[in-house]
Amino acid sequence: MNQAPAIAVESVARSFGPVHAVRDVSFEAHAGSVTALIGPNGSGKTTLLLMLASLLVPDHGTIRIGGHDPVADPRAVRRVMGWMPDVLGSWATLTVRQTLETTARLYEIDAAQARIRAAELIDLVGLDELADQPTRVLSRGQKQRLSLARALVHRPSVLLLDEPASGLDPAARIDLRVLVRRLANEGAAILVSSHVLAELDEMADDAVYLDHGVTASRASVEASRATVRDWRIRALDAAALTTALTELAIPTSGADHLGTLIPVAGEADAAALLTRLTAHGVQISAYGPAVGDLEHTFLDLAKGGRS
Amino acid sequence: MSPWITGLGTIAALELRQRVRSVAWLVLLIVVFVIVGIVTLLLWFALAQFSDEGADNAAIYSSIIFFVLLVGTLVTPAISGGAINAERDAGTLATTQVTLVSAPQIVIGKFLAAWTIALTFLAAALPFVILAVVVGGVPFLTLVSSLGVLVIELGIVAAIGVGLSGLQTRALFSVVTTYLVVAALSIGTLIAFGLGGLANQSEATNTYIPADYSSGDIDPTTGYPENPDEIECLEPQVSTYSVPRFDRVWAFLAANPYVVLADASPTTFDRNGNPEDLFGGIGLGIRAAQVPPELESVYDECENLRSGFQEGDGDYQTPEEIYNSTVPSWFVGLIIHVVLAALALWGGIARTRTPARILPKGSRIA
Repeated sequence: MNQAPAIAVESVARSFGPVHAVRDVSFEAHAGSVTALIGPNGSGKTTLLLMLASLLVPDHGTIRIGGHDPVADPRAVRRVMGWMPDVLGSWATLTVRQTLETTARLYEIDAAQARIRAAELIDLVGLDELADQPTRVLSRGQKQRLSLARALVHRPSVLLLDEPASGLDPAARIDLRVLVRRLANEGAAILVSSHVLAELDEMADDAVYLDHGVTASRASVEASRATVRDWRIRALDAAALTTALTELAIPTSGADHLGTLIPVAGEADAAALLTRLTAHGVQISAYGPAVGDLEHTFLDLAKGGRS
Repeated sequence: MSPWITGLGTIAALELRQRVRSVAWLVLLIVVFVIVGIVTLLLWFALAQFSDEGADNAAIYSSIIFFVLLVGTLVTPAISGGAINAERDAGTLATTQVTLVSAPQIVIGKFLAAWTIALTFLAAALPFVILAVVVGGVPFLTLVSSLGVLVIELGIVAAIGVGLSGLQTRALFSVVTTYLVVAALSIGTLIAFGLGGLANQSEATNTYIPADYSSGDIDPTTGYPENPDEIECLEPQVSTYSVPRFDRVWAFLAANPYVVLADASPTTFDRNGNPEDLFGGIGLGIRAAQVPPELESVYDECENLRSGFQEGDGDYQTPEEIYNSTVPSWFVGLIIHVVLAALALWGGIARTRTPARILPKGSRIA
């Protein structure tokens, strides 16, 4: 990654009166990759995205989107940036097609091109059957897809998605994941905020952790990743596994309906453990971290923040 | 076409599409049509009572136009007063703001749409206006000027509504504020004019020089003295009293939209120099208010007697003379209105500009 980052944020802060929504945020996101923006409710994710989307001026710090400053040159930023808000507003009396055509016109795309682009996007997000229905009849999930299509109208190279998966059914979530990955492979820089961490795990290349308006430093993220965490083991014969663990003197941290949990520090230790167990004759059918990478790091960081 | 104009057109078209499809608009349109129709009918019969020739078409016309202004200024705040903050609430403003259209394009586009919708209400009343014209008695210039002022005044109310909806967070408040502005201009100016004139009184003196009727013989047939030179004058009597100074506060009245409408129409006068229609009557009222009261008046009865009233009472002016000796106030009023509208729009644009530095309390911009 020797090119300039598509999104570069440097010590950004923004408060609303006495409320410090964002205190100190710094990170970079690169073209061709999906970056997860992770934080609990009220951690400042939406405020940060509003600043990135050129809607809000930061009190401190600098932001560059595709090399442009959203405060000094919002037009240049808007040309390359697509934003999907967490609030699902739509022009109620317009149809899906008219909504997308109008949005294209607002991006200074001519009428003929706008029509073509609207048709492409309707197909892309799977709203074909509802294309000529007014948007007020759409369900939450359908509005979500319309909102995503609207963010893509002008083929942005930087995409900001605020909670894109909330309200989507499992099939639509998979579609979203595939689409986001495809857009990233086509060269877009994508920043996705969510608190559904399992989902981000499957599509994000990188993550930014936000808590109380502050981003976790790279070092603390690395440290959290390396801390001991539970791996889940399931064997064909549960009793054999328990015997083996006792014989090998491996401590367990409990068991759930899916299998036995064992604390492991890092991937190397996990591999070694698996070798020992198979060598001991245990037939293992499932083996993996009990919680996803992002969730583990997130929970560990949150724990560190509180202690 | 420049991209700026295209963007403006897209915003206006978007706004119109959303409003015109609403049932509320259609219902209001029918209500306006019916009400103006009823009022026209009533005016017709009411004014026919006063004249035997039905020559009062000018009066019917000016009354209808006033009524259309009333209805228009009552309906326009409702359609323009939530243009921006309602979209902010619905979450569709921010998605417009992140596109390439700028805050001026958004606000002015919405203003143009609101104005267009307000004009559809004028159009609903137009059949009755045309009826009054066709029946006769309305000079072409009156028609052009009154309709022109009506169109501009509706635009001004639309601009104030859209501007305030950008400045205020809640749609309900901005609609109410717009109504208050309309009320302040329509009724408040009258109150300010009346109270201002009364509060602002001047001392006026009147000197009366009486004649001593016992000093000469009066011809019993003519009532004039037989020998004017013999008339002796008595001590002058000076009396003081206070007069309201409406000439200092007439600008209040000039800001009244009804006065603007009336004063802008060229007035025709009859043989005696009296105005012929309602516009002329109101126009004359505001013109007469410009004339400062005479603070030093002298009534020299003695001199009048001596001269045999030959050069007395030259002070009287007919309404037409007063009208012609004063400045027209309608453009003063119109300029005040345009400035108000421009200020509201400018404020609305400033609040809609992104990236935003200040957020209205309690509002989220997404």
